[in-house]
Amino acid sequence: MTLTLHGVGYRYAGADQPSLLDIDLELRDGEVVGVAGASEAGKTTLCLVASGLAPRTVGGRIRGTILLDGENVDAWPMHRLSGRIGMGFQNPSTQLSQVAGTVFEEVAFGPMNFGLPHDDVVARTWQALHALCIDDLAERDPQRLSGGQQQLVAMAGLLALRPAHLVLDEPTAQLDPAGTRLVADAIAVLAADGASIIVAEQKTDLLAEVAIRVVVLDGGRVAMAGPAGEVLADPRLTQLGVSPPSAIRLRRAAEAAGIDPERLRG
Amino acid sequence: MAGRERLTNPPLMNRGVPEIVGRPGPTAYHRLNPLTKATLATITAVAAVVLGGLVGPVVLVLVAVIGPAIVAGVLLRLIRTALLLSLPIAISAFLVNLFFFPDGVTVLLRIGPITATAEGLAFALEILARIVAISGAVTLFYLTTPPADLVVDLERRGVSPRIGFVANASVQTVPAMVERAVQITAAQRARGLDTEGSLWRRVRGIVPIVGPVILGSIAEVEERTMALEARGFARPGRRTLLWSPPDTVFQSALRWGLLVALLALIVARMTGVWA
Amino acid sequence: MVIRWIVALVAFLIMVFVGIAGFGNFETGIDPDNFFDAEGANSFALIGAIALVVAFVAYAATEYAQTRAFTSISSQFDTRTIVLMPIAIAINIILGATVANALKIPVYLDSIGTILVGALAGPIPGALTGLLSNLLWTYVLPPPFQNGPAAAFAIVAAVIGLLAGFVGRMGWLRPRPNRPIGQLGVGAVLSVGVIGAMAWLAYLGWTSPAFSGEVNFNVEGSDAIFTVLGWLVMLLVAGTIVGLLAVLFIRRDLTAAYVVVAGLGTGIIAALISAPISANVFSGVTGGGTDFLVAALRQAGADIGAATLGQGLISDPIDKITTFFVVYLILSAMARRTKARFPQGERLIDADQPSTDEEGEWRGASA
Repeated sequence: MTLTLHGVGYRYAGADQPSLLDIDLELRDGEVVGVAGASEAGKTTLCLVASGLAPRTVGGRIRGTILLDGENVDAWPMHRLSGRIGMGFQNPSTQLSQVAGTVFEEVAFGPMNFGLPHDDVVARTWQALHALCIDDLAERDPQRLSGGQQQLVAMAGLLALRPAHLVLDEPTAQLDPAGTRLVADAIAVLAADGASIIVAEQKTDLLAEVAIRVVVLDGGRVAMAGPAGEVLADPRLTQLGVSPPSAIRLRRAAEAAGIDPERLRG
Repeated sequence: MAGRERLTNPPLMNRGVPEIVGRPGPTAYHRLNPLTKATLATITAVAAVVLGGLVGPVVLVLVAVIGPAIVAGVLLRLIRTALLLSLPIAISAFLVNLFFFPDGVTVLLRIGPITATAEGLAFALEILARIVAISGAVTLFYLTTPPADLVVDLERRGVSPRIGFVANASVQTVPAMVERAVQITAAQRARGLDTEGSLWRRVRGIVPIVGPVILGSIAEVEERTMALEARGFARPGRRTLLWSPPDTVFQSALRWGLLVALLALIVARMTGVWA
Repeated sequence: MVIRWIVALVAFLIMVFVGIAGFGNFETGIDPDNFFDAEGANSFALIGAIALVVAFVAYAATEYAQTRAFTSISSQFDTRTIVLMPIAIAINIILGATVANALKIPVYLDSIGTILVGALAGPIPGALTGLLSNLLWTYVLPPPFQNGPAAAFAIVAAVIGLLAGFVGRMGWLRPRPNRPIGQLGVGAVLSVGVIGAMAWLAYLGWTSPAFSGEVNFNVEGSDAIFTVLGWLVMLLVAGTIVGLLAVLFIRRDLTAAYVVVAGLGTGIIAALISAPISANVFSGVTGGGTDFLVAALRQAGADIGAATLGQGLISDPIDKITTFFVVYLILSAMARRTKARFPQGERLIDADQPSTDEEGEWRGASA
């Protein structure tokens, strides 16, 4: 299942200027594409457009085409699209449905909404929990978990729908370092298992770890795109307001101080 | 497909819904269908009003409140909670009626310009009995029925899942909002907000707390809407339920029987058949 | 379409007939053995409210029979509204419980959420918010929030939500800033006039035996309390007028006048419906700060029906005007974009700012 954005632009309702212009993006099966950019560069908007929430739920106006395996999804209602593309958000607690007393019911929420047979719902829920290694959280109260754990529960809730693609908007932005580690590891595991993910992040370390390709946004347009290694090592990154991964920063600092970076490797 | 390897691991297919979800209650009364318990509570409350007098509500309390409470093993908690619930009203009702009963003639006590009358006392006792019946019935329901159980049962019977969502989410939102208010209060206090002192000061102090709590909650609406729709919430049609409380023919007959009895009582009252 | 409204109207009239005929058989006046009685006029509003519910059911049934769906109703219930409702219900319950249990003041403050949903989403969501708030408040919330009497007033809350929905739909809550003094003056005069008229009617009513059948103040025996009460009422009315004028002329927002009128109207209707419930079911005592008012009125010689109605006509308008103001403040604090996506959001936005959506290759959501 390939997700294709072609010439996509988007403008929020009541806004003078478009937030996205001329976006071309392709996500194939098994790929992880990173989206980097300064704040307000359009990362969140791109995620909303890719998942279909913009313009369906959020309003606003769109142009260009979005194709799922070559089929134009313009006329698809949100609930149909949500079965193919799952979207995760920054804030872990507002993703909770607030109607589930246990993590199990929380993760089962999506499949329940789709009216799947009872046994299917149960099987998918356990599988999603297992995929993120949170089986042991099944009986816990989701409101009482840490931010990182809640973010994992939210992701499990998306996985239970067996989407073809995942779109994650800065999943670690509101987490403490422990939570960030937890979620980053989970994303790495999913990536290793062959998931298709668009992940937007300010923390380029995460992108360096999992992304095959990276797209850098600036002012709603694609400023740079290419293989992750190249883009993240590109010196223009800082000009675009993006902090390079720590490995790159360390290397550059070493070079600036006159130390041979190769000798830093232990 | 996302995470395909791990998602198709066969051994997991044998696990069922965790026990904790929809766990049956500890006693036979708990295990009654939630709609039955709700019907009982409502009919008891309405009947207490319709019957009037002193004997009626007292009998109701014994039969429909105390009795089941003993079966359910919650008698002590019931008494404590019902008292907590009804005490402010009970005191107000008692005093107001004792002293301010307009048709009172037989004077019992005179304190300055206000007098307590025997008729007022009788009236006050009957109001008290009614209040005890209502709060007892409602408390019994609350103590023996998790709200989610009732919502699931109603949804099984055809109530829209959206209404069920609103009911369930409301129950979780109230304590969450209070917690947020507590946090904001602590933060505002750290910034010098005065929460002690005169009534006027306290009322003024409420605004910097209530404002952020309300506006903060409303600001979350957009995010929550998106998150729900991203999980198929807006899909028309019924949804699958993980479990639902069992129901029996006997209980169904009981509910209808009670409803009919109540209607008969109301009609009898209205047409004056029953004094 | 028209058929549905006709069916609803017919159902409404039938219910009103049945209600009057049924209640009319009663003796008025208090009989210690029989509390299930009802004063004539006071109960009309309650009958009306019940008839409204029946009419709604008839409307829905007709629509279902015609189209096998409830589109005109369910279109008011998009996801955003569903998400807002629990928050609104929580606001209702928390504020209402605080006022009822902690602050013994003669107002309720338990409808802010209901009116907010009514304004943003429409009459039916507003009504449902009110209904559910009261039901959950009694049956489901644990102490210290639980409030026993609340469920009996669920129908009052539903009607309040309904009215708020219509107020929003008519565009009354649209901001009207920077109006010339002339318009503000007219608004001030009109609303002061309305308030004055209501106060005058209430005064007339209290002293006239024709009002609701059985009002009879025993003025000789209780001059003092009655006088105090009178002063209190005048103070509240004066305070409302002063507050209204302040907002009108300091913020220069004409909507303040609309807010006051909406609050007043809703308050009076709410008082009319809740009085018979309070009188017959709880004998005027519900545990809040309003009980003292009722007691004072009864001491002045009013019977239970008149006392609860009198208390309601003081507390409810104040409460609802305050609530509408608070809702208006909340709406002003929300971003345009946030409001716009709600079903009635467009009617709450300042119409002066033009929409910048041009067509061409930019398209909105088709699904």
